[in-house]
Amino acid sequence: MKTFIPFVALSAALAANAAAAEGKLTISVYSFAQDAYKEALYDPFEEICDCELVIETGNSVERMAKIEANAADPVIDMAVISSHDALSLAQKGLLQPIDTSKLSSFDKLYPAAQDPLGDNMGVGYTFYASSIVYREDLVTIDSWGDLLGDDLAGNVSLPNITGTQGPLTLMMLDKAAGGDASDFTGTISDIGAHADDIVTFYSRSSELAQLMNQEEVIAAPVGRFAWSRFKSSPLPFAWAEPKEGQAGGMNVMIMTANNGNEELAYKLMDYWLSTEAQTRIAEALIDSPANMDVTLSDEIAENLTYGADLINSLNILPPSTIIAERDAWVDQWNTEVIR
Amino acid sequence: MKAFPIWLILGATLTFLIGPFLIVIFAGLSAGEALAFPPQGLSLKWYAKVFTVESFRASFALSMFLAVFGTLAALILGIPAAYALNRYKLPGAETIRTVVAAPIIVPGIIVGLSLLRYFVVPLNVSILVALFVTHTALVLPYAVRVVSSSLNNLRADMEEAAVILGCTRLQAFIKVVLPNIRGGILAAFILGFVASFNEVPASLFLSGPGVRTLPIDMLSYMEITFDPSVAALSALLAFMSVGIVFLAERLLGFSRYV
Amino acid sequence: MFLNRTEGLPLALPAALFTFLVFLVPVGILLSVAFQNVGGGFSLQGYVDFFAQPLNRTVFLRTLKLGVLVAAVSAVIGYAAAFCIVSLPATSRGRVFGLIVLPLMISPVARTYAWIVILGRSGIVNDVIVGLGLSRLPIRFLFTETAVFIGLLQLFLPLMIISLVSAMENVPKDAVPAARVLGANWMQVFFRVILPLTKEGLVVGGTLVFTGALTAYITPAILGGSKVLMLETLLYQKVNVSNDFVSASVIAMILIVMSFSANLLLKRIATAKR
Repeated sequence: MKTFIPFVALSAALAANAAAAEGKLTISVYSFAQDAYKEALYDPFEEICDCELVIETGNSVERMAKIEANAADPVIDMAVISSHDALSLAQKGLLQPIDTSKLSSFDKLYPAAQDPLGDNMGVGYTFYASSIVYREDLVTIDSWGDLLGDDLAGNVSLPNITGTQGPLTLMMLDKAAGGDASDFTGTISDIGAHADDIVTFYSRSSELAQLMNQEEVIAAPVGRFAWSRFKSSPLPFAWAEPKEGQAGGMNVMIMTANNGNEELAYKLMDYWLSTEAQTRIAEALIDSPANMDVTLSDEIAENLTYGADLINSLNILPPSTIIAERDAWVDQWNTEVIR
Repeated sequence: MKAFPIWLILGATLTFLIGPFLIVIFAGLSAGEALAFPPQGLSLKWYAKVFTVESFRASFALSMFLAVFGTLAALILGIPAAYALNRYKLPGAETIRTVVAAPIIVPGIIVGLSLLRYFVVPLNVSILVALFVTHTALVLPYAVRVVSSSLNNLRADMEEAAVILGCTRLQAFIKVVLPNIRGGILAAFILGFVASFNEVPASLFLSGPGVRTLPIDMLSYMEITFDPSVAALSALLAFMSVGIVFLAERLLGFSRYV
Repeated sequence: MFLNRTEGLPLALPAALFTFLVFLVPVGILLSVAFQNVGGGFSLQGYVDFFAQPLNRTVFLRTLKLGVLVAAVSAVIGYAAAFCIVSLPATSRGRVFGLIVLPLMISPVARTYAWIVILGRSGIVNDVIVGLGLSRLPIRFLFTETAVFIGLLQLFLPLMIISLVSAMENVPKDAVPAARVLGANWMQVFFRVILPLTKEGLVVGGTLVFTGALTAYITPAILGGSKVLMLETLLYQKVNVSNDFVSASVIAMILIVMSFSANLLLKRIATAKR
């Protein structure tokens, strides 16, 4: 008799899994601010769609790798990732074009967000600025070049090259050194020469927030979406406005090919882009809106990447450049920086 | 001159081995927001918070399920195997022994990756089944070894006598052997339970949306925040493991079997 | 021993088949990946490419170095501790032994996590260092090889002590006093009396600690981060960031070969001077 217990329990668990699959949408998102997201987006959506969201978290490149590994039988229905990782998936034929007629707020999106990858392979849902967050009681930051300066030696973290923020940091360091973003070889060598001064190379903004709150690190480049974690800290963090300007980027939502759950995925995309949801997410100080109809108080707007003027001022690295160059960067990085 | 350096050496060694863990217990008692030692004021709020984190509850249930049923499955496979290896002159006994012991030798992370790539994906198996199978395979060597050593201590002529007196082989096993190796089976269960519950490397790749074992869930929680709740959870889990082992030791002299 | 041979097979085969099918077959396929070229033929190119990358070589050597270092240091501490334990009276011996085994029951996640509290910039060690005025600013310990070393040592030291204690219980009680009376100093006692009698324990402990350090994931992941990669964390990155399964296969083979050869080598050393 005892023999049966585990098998009965296991099959019961499996059956429960299968039964729940009816109204279930599996999405893949960034790992920061999940509590806030639950309140601003997941819970209200589950209420409306009468379905269950299953959420996978991680940084963009890891989740991209997972989608690729599971391509034969997609686990993830819909994902939000960086524009260049999305483009890379699209080029490998792992995405399906998004039928924009199913997105009621599509026309309200900034033109740059409507079809950033071509062929409607992705829709931008947020813009972000990237700059340096630092401890204003300990250092001052005027330039991206300060990251490799003596004041920060031993107390600075840089984003890992494989992540979304890595290439942006390369671009701005290159600009600070007088480059024109055409070749980052020198910049990577420069970072390599300072490798011992860098505490660690972080791969998730949540990880960086952690390191800075623990005082392991006092300055690092990061995307504005992570700002609320720093702002709410008891430590005096500030957002730098370096003379080279801020870097920036866009995250996009994508639909995996042949996932069989398109209807629910469109529902979530539609809801996520709606003025209502975009406003609520913005007011929680997580992601800045891509929907032009979102109006925010000055106080909220100040913490986000809000408004056409700011968005247009950002230094942007084209996704196609990143994809074309990334392997070479990683090779050089592994040789000269991580050693 | 003798007693002093002995206790100095032992004291230093034990401080190194157990001290960090005591710090974790106290860090979890902090009233402050950040992980710190000594704690900033005392409170049980982080111990309480552990029970309110949804993902901890789900992953705890999964880890419990795997530890209990994975180990039971390993025993169901392992006890007959241990019995056969002990009482029969099997053809290829050495091979069987080696195969069954293999999961101990292969690093866990490789196991997890292999199963993900060449079991889960091609056969379209769910992550849950893969975890169950992995944990069973990882516990199986312990089950076979511990049950074997307890069979070794049991003289075979008792079963023989039972058979001569008219029992079938199965009856003899159930009536004579099983009651006598009960302690060994329980010891194997506890060992397997603890090993499975704390397992990390093999479960690392075997996680999907919504399916994660507790240690893996703790790791990913720590990437987001180091608030003292992870310290509190670590302490609670340790108390659980130590409590189980302590009880087992008290009730059956567990360490005789390991 | 009194039963016929084939009757027992149905009892043992399920376990063996289970492990073979769900365990050895997938692992075998993974290991074979790096030996295949694009056409499916035999090739060592995966290995050549892997070792051509300086990062991979560094990580390989670092893993080897830390494994040896952790095993060696734990042997030194282990001998001291085991010698003390066996010279205790029976009651306190049991208690101390229990305390040594205790950490093995605690989740490695919790045990590694403790070091963040201790070694972090706002951790205890730095509080003391800054408090005593030894340094103006807190010192960086996390994400260094030192941190990984300390974490691994704490994780695996109990295995060494346990192995050595059980080996030392076999040393005759009067062997050490006898050697002392005959004029041997402590060094001679150790190398001439204790070491030869406890070699097997050292081999078992050494293998357990070395392979443990080699295959630990959590410690290098938490205390080493992306700068102090070890083979396990490198494997995780190869798979999760770049879908590079050839490198993953190479690393898997290296880890298995290293564990096996450690075992063989230590056995060879242990039996050499008989």
